[in-house]
Amino acid sequence: MKIVAVTACPTGIAHTYMAAARLEKIAKNFGHEIKVETQGAMGIENRLTENDIRQAHIAIFAVDIEVEERERFNGVKVIQVPLQEALKNPENIFSKLQH
Amino acid sequence: MTQEVSTSLQFVFSCPLSSGLHARPASHLAEVVNQFASDCTLTNLRNGLMANGKSVLGIIAADIRYSDQCAVRVSGADEHSAHAALRQFVAEALPLCDVPLAVSAAPIRSNTPPRPLKAAGVSCSFGVPVSRGIAHGKVVIVSRMTLPSSLSTPNKTDSQKELDHIKDAVAAVRRRIGEKLKYSITPAGTAVLQADLAMASDVFLVEKLTEQVLRGKSAGQAVVETGEFFIDLLRHSDNEYVRERSSDIEEICLQLLEEIYGASPGSAPVALHEPSVVVAETLAPQQLLELDRRWLKALVLEYSGSTSHAAILARSLGIPTLVGVRNARLVLPPGSEVVVDANRGLVVSYSLAAVRRFYGREQQTLQRRRELWSRQTEKPAITLDGQRIDVAANASSVEELVIAFENGADGIGLFRTEMIFLGREYPPSEEEQFAIYAEAARTAGGRPVVIRTIDIGGDKRVPYLNLPPEENPFLGYRGARIYAEHHQLLQSQLRAILRASALGQVQIMAPMISSLEEIVQFKDAIIQAKQHLIRNGMPFQPDLKVGIMVEVPSVAFILDQLCSEVDFFSIGTNDLSQYFFAADRNNSKVNELFSVRHPSFLRFLKQIVDQIRLAGKWAGMCGEMAADIRNLPLLVGLGLREISVPAVEVREYKRTVSRLYASDCGVMVERSIASAKVLEVDGLLGQQPLQAAQPLLARELILLGSTSKNKEEVIQEMVDAFYVASRTEDRHLLEEALWAREAVYSTGLGYGFATPHCKTDAVAADSICVLRLREPINWDSIDGERVRMVVLLALRNSEVANNHMQVFSTLARKLMNEDFRQHLLEVETADEATTYLAAQLGTAMTGER
Repeated sequence: MKIVAVTACPTGIAHTYMAAARLEKIAKNFGHEIKVETQGAMGIENRLTENDIRQAHIAIFAVDIEVEERERFNGVKVIQVPLQEALKNPENIFSKLQH
Repeated sequence: MTQEVSTSLQFVFSCPLSSGLHARPASHLAEVVNQFASDCTLTNLRNGLMANGKSVLGIIAADIRYSDQCAVRVSGADEHSAHAALRQFVAEALPLCDVPLAVSAAPIRSNTPPRPLKAAGVSCSFGVPVSRGIAHGKVVIVSRMTLPSSLSTPNKTDSQKELDHIKDAVAAVRRRIGEKLKYSITPAGTAVLQADLAMASDVFLVEKLTEQVLRGKSAGQAVVETGEFFIDLLRHSDNEYVRERSSDIEEICLQLLEEIYGASPGSAPVALHEPSVVVAETLAPQQLLELDRRWLKALVLEYSGSTSHAAILARSLGIPTLVGVRNARLVLPPGSEVVVDANRGLVVSYSLAAVRRFYGREQQTLQRRRELWSRQTEKPAITLDGQRIDVAANASSVEELVIAFENGADGIGLFRTEMIFLGREYPPSEEEQFAIYAEAARTAGGRPVVIRTIDIGGDKRVPYLNLPPEENPFLGYRGARIYAEHHQLLQSQLRAILRASALGQVQIMAPMISSLEEIVQFKDAIIQAKQHLIRNGMPFQPDLKVGIMVEVPSVAFILDQLCSEVDFFSIGTNDLSQYFFAADRNNSKVNELFSVRHPSFLRFLKQIVDQIRLAGKWAGMCGEMAADIRNLPLLVGLGLREISVPAVEVREYKRTVSRLYASDCGVMVERSIASAKVLEVDGLLGQQPLQAAQPLLARELILLGSTSKNKEEVIQEMVDAFYVASRTEDRHLLEEALWAREAVYSTGLGYGFATPHCKTDAVAADSICVLRLREPINWDSIDGERVRMVVLLALRNSEVANNHMQVFSTLARKLMNEDFRQHLLEVETADEATTYLAAQLGTAMTGER
């Protein structure tokens, strides 16, 4: 499955990037292809292109704050979870996708 | 009866003093009025209160605050001269009357105990710190001096006898204060006593006393009632400063009573026998001075004034002091042991285990900070190509000198002595001066202290010098030019400096020298002072060095002659540049014309420095050009080997010197001199960025054997590490920023790791701090596991234009990697941890061994 994801936390210093690393790793374990955009203190990084989003089967938002430029994801199925969820039980997020 | 036509003269002024016309300026004003026979009435146009201008108390009671409009009316025989003198005083001297006596108090903190104490359920009392520091001791309660409400002395009929009593008592109290003045060695103490003296001689006070006696009261009763009258008057002011003067009046009245009855009706002086914390509602200055300094560790006052004379004295004596501590005498039992934390603004029982632990750790932190600080600051400043630059400091007081050495000053390049002479009625005695210079010499511990002899001109009001006001005081009678007329004054200062030279490396510097004759005369005066000391068997350094300020352009053309007379030169750019450009630096219309970075001025400086160095003499610089760190490359390039800068900035200068190449600086000066305008010079300077960012990692921020017991202690320990490494000066702000993030959700990320973080300008530099616990603790982690390893990230708010955030994000991602975590858990030394992190994160590190 092709997945796009966005991570964002309140200060944008630590958890945004931890969650991104975590999602990338677990997705791989599940055999998914994932691209994670981080919205942290450095702004948007590893930006999801229009193409990335169009090709994705699903978008995961692991965020504690509003997603920037959310309109890009109009028409895409989105799963939104608190960021902590991506650290605590990333497997849960992915196993939900199976159904 | 012929009616004299009153031609009363009047003018209105606006009070220029931010704390209003309080005791000290009021005493100066009254003194001017008292020089004339004419009557003078002061009316505060804001509140309509009127005062006799001859009465300090009256002026104070008129409650004249900042920017209040006041009408001054003078009438009498010499009204014209009185009017002129007052106008001049108000325009010129009054704005200068309020020289701040000490450093400002610490900002008021929120009333919460430090986190670890709060977690342990400890309750504290809070107050406003007016003199910083931490100390503990046993509580000793000192009761307030109060006027006995009734003295059982019957009314007297022999008014004349009672009046004589009062006259004698007033004279005796004045003598008493005068005596104390002679031995006063701190400027703050002297100012307080002078204000007391003025009050004790106040015409309003004497008038009231006389009035009471004439009504049939005894001398004692007259004092009590007069005291109550004034205390009441002052206490009803809504100006804090004026209210606080009521305790000064109270004290004077008590002394009067003591003179009349031969014994004090107030409380006897308190004897201290062990480390003590004195707790009182309020403390009169003389009460404070009577306490045994050996045992007085801290002061806690219920009264909430930061400008009370007791607070000012406590600051000058360095006694940690809190004011405004509610019900202190009730909550702090006598004999109990308490800690006064006049950094955070709290007082707390020392008998609690949590308190002892907290302050034990605090003491270690302060100790480590001092050690690291002095290791960093004691190193000489050497450029990258090996040129040593002495970074000295300017100071006007011993307090400032202490700060300079704490910051690693290589010496005191300019010790100004004007403060000792200003704001007083009589010149300071040789002993008073000696006490100050000796303390300076001792504190310097072998490092040079260049003491500049008195540098005063007509722009300052000094009663005993009688300097005439001038059209243009900066081109007038000032500095060394007044020494011939004030021979005795110079002699006593030179003797005091010479005597201090026996205690340390003291040097003498003369201000405003413009000719060879002046320095020859100055040196003759030194010889005379030395002979006096030899005759009296007093020791001094025989070959004490003598130098001059280079601040008059004429000096630049006789340097060859001067070099055979003096040992050193210190360039004072403030005056030199304004004389050089013929532009008053206080005149905004012309001050843009002159810049110390103007190529013409740089040429002038280069010529001066080259000549002095050619003669093998020593050239330094004090003054504003040296005080602007942006000019540093120019100063080094000019060939200056000593610069004297503001005390608090010494450390930054030393750090900056060590990032420069002296040879590059020389090239820059050559190019600057060849430039056409200031802008080009600024451009050249701008090409050399001075402020390299501090690295993210430092050995002092790696804490591998923490014994902290809970989250509160861990965060405190890490914040303390920032403080030790001088990466924060505001621990409270940093701590609260971290807790604010924890409040969103715990940063315990599982695997035994936690990553507290924050974005705050409370840190001086973006930093990574690592702490490993001996015993894991609870951090409410998402996996419920206890935490062993804490990685703290602190990012500054205002600087994002660096790659530190990149490093932080790399670190955050790495923490998700098991190998990385395992490595951190097993690393053995701080060095190893720093090297590992630097390699993993691709960033530089720093640290002191």
